[in-house]
Amino acid sequence: MKEFLILILIFYILVLFQTSFLVYFNIKGFIPNLILIAVFLINLFEEKDRITGIYSAMIGGFFLDVFSEKSFGLYILISIVIAIFIKYVIKRYVRVPSFKRA
Amino acid sequence: MKFSQTRNRILILLTVIIVFLFLGFFQKETKNFFYSISEPFQKTLWRTGANIYDFFSGIFQGNNLKKENEGFKLKIQELEADVASLKELKTENEFLRKSLDIGLENEFKLIFTEVVGNGTSEDILIIDKGSKDGILKDLPVITEQKILVGKILQADEHFSKVMLITNKESSFNGKIQEKEVEGVVKGSGNLRTYFDLLPKDKEIKEGDVVVTSSLDKAFPKGILVGTVKEVKKSDLEPFQQAEISPFFDIKGLKNLFVISNSQ
Repeated sequence: MKEFLILILIFYILVLFQTSFLVYFNIKGFIPNLILIAVFLINLFEEKDRITGIYSAMIGGFFLDVFSEKSFGLYILISIVIAIFIKYVIKRYVRVPSFKRA
Repeated sequence: MKFSQTRNRILILLTVIIVFLFLGFFQKETKNFFYSISEPFQKTLWRTGANIYDFFSGIFQGNNLKKENEGFKLKIQELEADVASLKELKTENEFLRKSLDIGLENEFKLIFTEVVGNGTSEDILIIDKGSKDGILKDLPVITEQKILVGKILQADEHFSKVMLITNKESSFNGKIQEKEVEGVVKGSGNLRTYFDLLPKDKEIKEGDVVVTSSLDKAFPKGILVGTVKEVKKSDLEPFQQAEISPFFDIKGLKNLFVISNSQ
Protein backbone atom coordinates (compact mmCIF):
# COMPACT_ATOMS: atom_id res chain seq x y z
CA MET A 1 0.00 0.00 0.00
CA LYS A 2 2.86 2.33 0.90
CA GLU A 3 4.51 1.53 -2.39
CA PHE A 4 1.26 2.32 -4.19
CA LEU A 5 0.97 5.74 -2.54
CA ILE A 6 4.59 6.57 -3.32
CA LEU A 7 4.02 5.62 -6.97
CA ILE A 8 0.93 7.85 -7.13
CA LEU A 9 2.89 10.77 -5.69
CA ILE A 10 5.85 10.28 -8.04
CA PHE A 11 3.67 10.00 -11.13
CA TYR A 12 1.61 13.02 -10.11
CA ILE A 13 4.76 15.12 -9.78
CA LEU A 14 6.03 13.79 -13.11
CA VAL A 15 2.81 14.63 -14.96
CA LEU A 16 2.72 18.15 -13.50
CA PHE A 17 6.31 18.62 -14.56
CA GLN A 18 5.64 17.30 -18.03
CA THR A 19 2.57 19.42 -18.66
CA SER A 20 3.94 22.73 -17.43
CA PHE A 21 7.66 23.02 -16.80
CA LEU A 22 9.02 20.91 -19.66
CA VAL A 23 7.08 22.86 -22.29
CA TYR A 24 9.80 25.51 -22.05
CA PHE A 25 12.56 23.02 -22.74
CA ASN A 26 11.08 21.20 -25.71
CA ILE A 27 13.41 19.95 -28.38
CA LYS A 28 12.05 21.24 -31.70
CA GLY A 29 8.54 21.11 -30.33
CA PHE A 30 8.95 17.62 -28.93
CA ILE A 31 8.24 17.18 -25.22
CA PRO A 32 9.49 13.93 -23.68
CA ASN A 33 6.80 11.77 -22.11
CA LEU A 34 8.29 11.32 -18.63
CA ILE A 35 5.53 8.99 -17.49
CA LEU A 36 6.01 6.46 -20.27
CA ILE A 37 9.78 6.61 -19.76
CA ALA A 38 9.30 5.97 -16.03
CA VAL A 39 6.90 3.07 -16.69
CA PHE A 40 9.40 1.62 -19.14
CA LEU A 41 12.31 1.88 -16.69
CA ILE A 42 10.39 0.47 -13.72
CA ASN A 43 9.31 -2.54 -15.77
CA LEU A 44 12.78 -3.04 -17.16
CA PHE A 45 14.60 -3.08 -13.86
CA GLU A 46 12.22 -4.72 -11.42
CA GLU A 47 12.42 -8.32 -10.36
CA LYS A 48 10.77 -10.80 -12.67
CA ASP A 49 7.98 -11.99 -10.38
CA ARG A 50 6.87 -8.60 -9.05
CA ILE A 51 4.00 -6.65 -10.55
CA THR A 52 4.78 -3.11 -9.37
CA GLY A 53 5.46 -2.34 -13.01
CA ILE A 54 1.86 -3.08 -13.96
CA TYR A 55 0.55 -0.89 -11.12
CA SER A 56 2.87 1.90 -12.16
CA ALA A 57 1.63 1.57 -15.74
CA MET A 58 -1.94 1.93 -14.51
CA ILE A 59 -1.25 4.95 -12.32
CA GLY A 60 0.93 6.62 -14.96
CA GLY A 61 -1.62 5.98 -17.69
CA PHE A 62 -4.36 7.34 -15.45
CA PHE A 63 -2.54 10.64 -14.92
CA LEU A 64 -1.78 10.93 -18.65
CA ASP A 65 -5.48 10.37 -19.32
CA VAL A 66 -6.49 13.06 -16.84
CA PHE A 67 -4.47 15.68 -18.69
CA SER A 68 -5.24 14.36 -22.16
CA GLU A 69 -8.03 15.47 -24.47
CA LYS A 70 -8.49 11.98 -25.87
CA SER A 71 -11.04 9.56 -24.49
CA PHE A 72 -10.39 8.30 -20.99
CA GLY A 73 -8.55 5.01 -20.72
CA LEU A 74 -6.45 5.25 -23.87
CA TYR A 75 -3.19 5.99 -22.08
CA ILE A 76 -3.94 3.45 -19.32
CA LEU A 77 -4.31 0.85 -22.03
CA ILE A 78 -1.16 1.93 -23.89
CA SER A 79 1.01 1.93 -20.79
CA ILE A 80 -0.33 -1.40 -19.51
CA VAL A 81 0.33 -2.97 -22.91
CA ILE A 82 3.88 -1.56 -22.85
CA ALA A 83 4.42 -2.90 -19.31
CA ILE A 84 3.10 -6.37 -20.13
CA PHE A 85 5.12 -6.50 -23.33
CA ILE A 86 8.36 -5.62 -21.53
CA LYS A 87 7.62 -8.14 -18.79
CA TYR A 88 6.92 -10.82 -21.36
CA VAL A 89 10.07 -10.14 -23.37
CA ILE A 90 12.25 -10.05 -20.26
CA LYS A 91 10.74 -13.22 -18.84
CA ARG A 92 11.19 -15.11 -22.08
CA TYR A 93 14.34 -13.82 -23.68
CA VAL A 94 16.46 -11.45 -21.60
CA ARG A 95 18.45 -11.51 -18.42
CA VAL A 96 19.14 -8.14 -16.89
CA PRO A 97 20.44 -7.32 -13.42
CA SER A 98 17.46 -6.28 -11.30
CA PHE A 99 17.25 -4.31 -8.08
CA LYS A 100 16.96 -6.83 -5.26
CA ARG A 101 15.25 -5.94 -2.05
CA ALA A 102 17.53 -5.90 0.99
CA MET B 1 1.36 -19.80 0.15
CA LYS B 2 2.40 -18.93 -3.31
CA PHE B 3 -1.10 -19.53 -4.60
CA SER B 4 -2.70 -17.20 -2.06
CA GLN B 5 -0.14 -14.53 -2.85
CA THR B 6 -1.01 -14.71 -6.52
CA ARG B 7 -4.69 -14.66 -5.67
CA ASN B 8 -4.15 -11.59 -3.49
CA ARG B 9 -2.36 -9.84 -6.27
CA ILE B 10 -5.07 -10.66 -8.76
CA LEU B 11 -7.69 -9.36 -6.32
CA ILE B 12 -5.79 -6.10 -5.83
CA LEU B 13 -5.34 -5.77 -9.57
CA LEU B 14 -9.07 -6.30 -10.13
CA THR B 15 -10.06 -3.69 -7.53
CA VAL B 16 -7.66 -1.21 -9.06
CA ILE B 17 -9.12 -1.82 -12.52
CA ILE B 18 -12.65 -1.38 -11.17
CA VAL B 19 -11.66 1.89 -9.47
CA PHE B 20 -10.14 3.18 -12.70
CA LEU B 21 -13.23 2.18 -14.69
CA PHE B 22 -15.42 3.94 -12.14
CA LEU B 23 -13.30 7.08 -12.48
CA GLY B 24 -13.58 6.74 -16.25
CA PHE B 25 -17.38 6.90 -16.06
CA PHE B 26 -17.11 10.15 -14.13
CA GLN B 27 -14.31 11.48 -16.26
CA LYS B 28 -15.54 15.09 -16.34
CA GLU B 29 -15.72 15.25 -12.56
CA THR B 30 -12.41 13.40 -12.21
CA LYS B 31 -10.61 15.73 -14.60
CA ASN B 32 -12.14 18.81 -12.99
CA PHE B 33 -11.08 17.59 -9.56
CA PHE B 34 -7.49 16.98 -10.66
CA TYR B 35 -7.28 20.26 -12.57
CA SER B 36 -8.48 22.24 -9.59
CA ILE B 37 -6.03 20.67 -7.17
CA SER B 38 -3.11 20.93 -9.58
CA GLU B 39 -3.85 24.42 -10.91
CA PRO B 40 -1.68 26.32 -8.38
CA PHE B 41 1.24 23.89 -8.82
CA GLN B 42 0.99 23.95 -12.61
CA LYS B 43 0.76 27.72 -12.79
CA THR B 44 3.81 28.05 -10.56
CA LEU B 45 5.76 25.49 -12.60
CA TRP B 46 4.72 27.19 -15.87
CA ARG B 47 6.00 30.54 -14.61
CA THR B 48 9.16 29.04 -13.11
CA GLY B 49 9.85 27.38 -16.44
CA ALA B 50 9.41 30.74 -18.15
CA ASN B 51 11.83 32.45 -15.77
CA ILE B 52 14.50 29.75 -16.03
CA TYR B 53 14.16 29.68 -19.81
CA ASP B 54 14.51 33.47 -19.99
CA PHE B 55 17.60 33.36 -17.79
CA PHE B 56 19.38 30.68 -19.83
CA SER B 57 18.33 31.98 -23.22
CA GLY B 58 19.81 35.34 -22.18
CA ILE B 59 23.14 33.69 -21.45
CA PHE B 60 23.32 31.39 -24.47
CA GLN B 61 22.00 33.79 -27.07
CA GLY B 62 24.10 36.77 -26.04
CA ASN B 63 25.91 36.81 -29.38
CA ASN B 64 22.75 36.80 -31.40
CA LEU B 65 21.20 39.61 -29.40
CA LYS B 66 23.35 42.31 -30.97
CA LYS B 67 22.55 41.16 -34.48
CA GLU B 68 18.89 40.83 -33.63
CA ASN B 69 18.89 44.30 -32.07
CA GLU B 70 20.23 45.89 -35.23
CA GLY B 71 17.58 44.11 -37.28
CA PHE B 72 14.88 45.34 -34.93
CA LYS B 73 16.12 48.94 -35.13
CA LEU B 74 15.74 48.88 -38.90
CA LYS B 75 12.34 47.25 -38.58
CA ILE B 76 11.22 49.93 -36.11
CA GLN B 77 12.14 52.69 -38.55
CA GLU B 78 10.19 50.97 -41.29
CA LEU B 79 7.20 50.46 -39.03
CA GLU B 80 7.27 54.08 -37.81
CA ALA B 81 7.02 55.25 -41.39
CA ASP B 82 4.08 52.87 -41.88
CA VAL B 83 2.38 54.10 -38.70
CA ALA B 84 2.64 57.71 -39.85
CA SER B 85 0.97 56.95 -43.16
CA LEU B 86 -1.64 54.75 -41.46
CA LYS B 87 -2.56 57.54 -39.04
CA GLU B 88 -3.38 59.74 -41.96
CA LEU B 89 -5.47 56.98 -43.46
CA LYS B 90 -7.24 56.49 -40.13
CA THR B 91 -8.35 60.10 -39.89
CA GLU B 92 -9.43 59.99 -43.50
CA ASN B 93 -11.29 56.74 -42.88
CA GLU B 94 -13.07 58.16 -39.81
CA PHE B 95 -14.06 61.25 -41.76
CA LEU B 96 -15.45 59.16 -44.61
CA ARG B 97 -17.30 56.86 -42.23
CA LYS B 98 -18.91 59.84 -40.55
CA SER B 99 -19.93 61.38 -43.84
CA LEU B 100 -21.34 58.07 -45.06
CA ASP B 101 -22.90 57.37 -41.64
CA ILE B 102 -21.30 53.95 -41.12
CA GLY B 103 -20.39 52.97 -37.57
CA LEU B 104 -17.13 51.33 -36.66
CA GLU B 105 -16.96 47.56 -36.76
CA ASN B 106 -17.95 45.83 -33.59
CA GLU B 107 -15.04 45.07 -31.32
CA PHE B 108 -14.70 41.55 -30.01
CA LYS B 109 -16.10 40.54 -26.67
CA LEU B 110 -13.16 38.97 -24.90
CA ILE B 111 -12.92 36.59 -21.97
CA PHE B 112 -9.63 36.85 -20.12
CA THR B 113 -7.94 33.56 -19.21
CA GLU B 114 -4.62 32.36 -17.88
CA VAL B 115 -2.65 29.39 -19.14
CA VAL B 116 -2.55 26.58 -16.59
CA GLY B 117 -0.42 24.10 -18.51
CA ASN B 118 0.04 21.94 -21.51
CA GLY B 119 -2.00 18.84 -22.30
CA THR B 120 -0.26 15.47 -22.42
CA SER B 121 -0.23 15.46 -26.18
CA GLU B 122 1.55 18.41 -27.71
CA ASP B 123 -0.22 21.40 -29.20
CA ILE B 124 -2.95 21.44 -26.56
CA LEU B 125 -3.12 24.06 -23.81
CA ILE B 126 -5.22 24.04 -20.65
CA ILE B 127 -6.73 27.39 -19.58
CA ASP B 128 -8.39 28.37 -16.33
CA LYS B 129 -11.88 29.30 -17.57
CA GLY B 130 -14.63 26.89 -18.54
CA SER B 131 -18.25 26.56 -19.56
CA LYS B 132 -19.36 28.33 -16.36
CA ASP B 133 -17.52 31.45 -17.55
CA GLY B 134 -19.26 31.35 -20.93
CA ILE B 135 -16.66 29.44 -22.90
CA LEU B 136 -18.01 27.19 -25.62
CA LYS B 137 -16.47 24.70 -28.02
CA ASP B 138 -14.83 26.14 -31.18
CA LEU B 139 -14.48 29.72 -29.91
CA PRO B 140 -11.25 31.36 -31.15
CA VAL B 141 -8.39 32.07 -28.74
CA ILE B 142 -6.00 34.99 -29.27
CA THR B 143 -3.19 36.73 -27.39
CA GLU B 144 -3.08 40.32 -26.17
CA GLN B 145 -1.52 41.35 -29.48
CA LYS B 146 -4.41 39.84 -31.49
CA ILE B 147 -2.35 36.89 -32.62
CA LEU B 148 -4.29 33.70 -33.29
CA VAL B 149 -3.43 30.86 -30.91
CA GLY B 150 -6.11 28.29 -31.62
CA LYS B 151 -9.65 27.36 -30.74
CA ILE B 152 -11.45 25.75 -27.84
CA LEU B 153 -11.46 21.99 -28.16
CA GLN B 154 -13.25 21.03 -24.96
CA ALA B 155 -14.92 23.21 -22.38
CA ASP B 156 -15.24 21.62 -18.94
CA GLU B 157 -16.89 23.36 -16.03
CA HIS B 158 -13.93 25.40 -14.82
CA PHE B 159 -11.22 24.56 -17.34
CA SER B 160 -10.95 24.31 -21.10
CA LYS B 161 -8.56 22.79 -23.57
CA VAL B 162 -7.28 24.91 -26.43
CA MET B 163 -6.24 23.25 -29.68
CA LEU B 164 -3.31 25.27 -31.00
CA ILE B 165 -3.16 26.10 -34.71
CA THR B 166 -0.10 23.85 -34.83
CA ASN B 167 -2.13 20.80 -33.81
CA LYS B 168 -2.34 18.15 -36.51
CA GLU B 169 -6.13 18.32 -36.53
CA SER B 170 -6.32 22.08 -36.92
CA SER B 171 -7.07 23.59 -40.33
CA PHE B 172 -8.65 26.88 -41.38
CA ASN B 173 -8.69 29.35 -44.25
CA GLY B 174 -5.94 31.92 -44.33
CA LYS B 175 -4.63 34.48 -46.74
CA ILE B 176 -1.51 36.46 -47.36
CA GLN B 177 -1.85 40.02 -46.21
CA GLU B 178 -2.03 42.62 -48.97
CA LYS B 179 -2.08 39.92 -51.65
CA GLU B 180 -5.23 38.14 -52.62
CA VAL B 181 -3.73 34.69 -52.13
CA GLU B 182 -5.96 32.34 -50.20
CA GLY B 183 -5.08 28.93 -48.87
CA VAL B 184 -5.56 26.54 -45.99
CA VAL B 185 -3.44 26.80 -42.86
CA LYS B 186 -2.87 23.36 -41.40
CA GLY B 187 -1.03 22.27 -38.29
CA SER B 188 1.67 19.67 -38.64
CA GLY B 189 2.27 18.95 -34.94
CA ASN B 190 5.23 19.77 -32.71
CA LEU B 191 4.51 23.51 -32.86
CA ARG B 192 4.73 23.79 -36.65
CA THR B 193 2.21 24.90 -39.26
CA TYR B 194 2.09 25.07 -43.03
CA PHE B 195 0.11 26.85 -45.68
CA ASP B 196 -1.46 24.42 -48.13
CA LEU B 197 -3.48 24.60 -51.36
CA LEU B 198 -1.86 27.82 -52.57
CA PRO B 199 -2.34 28.45 -56.32
CA LYS B 200 0.89 27.80 -58.20
CA ASP B 201 0.79 30.95 -60.29
CA LYS B 202 0.82 33.29 -57.29
CA GLU B 203 4.17 34.44 -56.02
CA ILE B 204 4.83 34.00 -52.34
CA LYS B 205 7.92 35.30 -50.62
CA GLU B 206 9.63 34.53 -47.37
CA GLY B 207 8.45 36.89 -44.67
CA ASP B 208 4.94 37.40 -46.10
CA VAL B 209 2.41 37.83 -43.31
CA VAL B 210 -0.42 35.29 -43.07
CA VAL B 211 -3.77 36.35 -41.57
CA THR B 212 -7.13 34.63 -41.17
CA SER B 213 -9.39 34.97 -44.17
CA SER B 214 -12.99 36.06 -44.41
CA LEU B 215 -13.84 32.70 -45.98
CA ASP B 216 -13.36 31.03 -42.65
CA LYS B 217 -16.35 30.94 -40.34
CA ALA B 218 -14.50 29.70 -37.28
CA PHE B 219 -12.22 32.71 -36.91
CA PRO B 220 -12.85 36.43 -37.45
CA LYS B 221 -10.99 37.79 -40.48
CA GLY B 222 -7.71 39.64 -40.31
CA ILE B 223 -6.22 38.05 -37.20
CA LEU B 224 -2.46 37.54 -37.40
CA VAL B 225 -1.28 33.95 -37.84
CA GLY B 226 2.42 33.97 -38.76
CA THR B 227 5.02 34.66 -41.40
CA VAL B 228 6.02 32.51 -44.36
CA LYS B 229 9.27 30.73 -43.57
CA GLU B 230 9.90 28.58 -46.58
CA VAL B 231 8.06 28.08 -49.90
CA LYS B 232 7.90 24.58 -51.34
CA LYS B 233 7.13 24.25 -55.02
CA SER B 234 7.08 20.94 -56.77
CA ASP B 235 6.22 20.13 -60.37
CA LEU B 236 4.39 17.03 -59.26
CA GLU B 237 2.02 18.81 -56.92
CA PRO B 238 -0.90 20.81 -58.26
CA PHE B 239 -0.53 23.41 -55.51
CA GLN B 240 2.39 25.01 -53.74
CA GLN B 241 2.95 24.83 -50.01
CA ALA B 242 4.67 27.14 -47.57
CA GLU B 243 5.92 26.58 -44.07
CA ILE B 244 4.67 29.17 -41.61
CA SER B 245 6.38 30.21 -38.42
CA PRO B 246 3.53 31.19 -36.11
CA PHE B 247 3.63 34.58 -34.39
CA PHE B 248 2.81 33.12 -31.00
CA ASP B 249 5.51 31.40 -29.03
CA ILE B 250 4.27 28.78 -26.60
CA LYS B 251 7.10 29.79 -24.27
CA GLY B 252 5.73 33.27 -23.89
CA LEU B 253 2.07 32.45 -23.41
CA LYS B 254 0.69 33.48 -20.03
CA ASN B 255 -2.53 35.36 -20.63
CA LEU B 256 -4.96 34.57 -23.42
CA PHE B 257 -8.30 35.92 -24.60
CA VAL B 258 -11.25 33.92 -25.85
CA ILE B 259 -13.43 35.75 -28.38
CA SER B 260 -16.99 35.07 -27.29
CA ASN B 261 -18.87 36.84 -30.12
CA SER B 262 -17.02 35.72 -33.20
CA GLN B 263 -19.93 34.14 -35.06
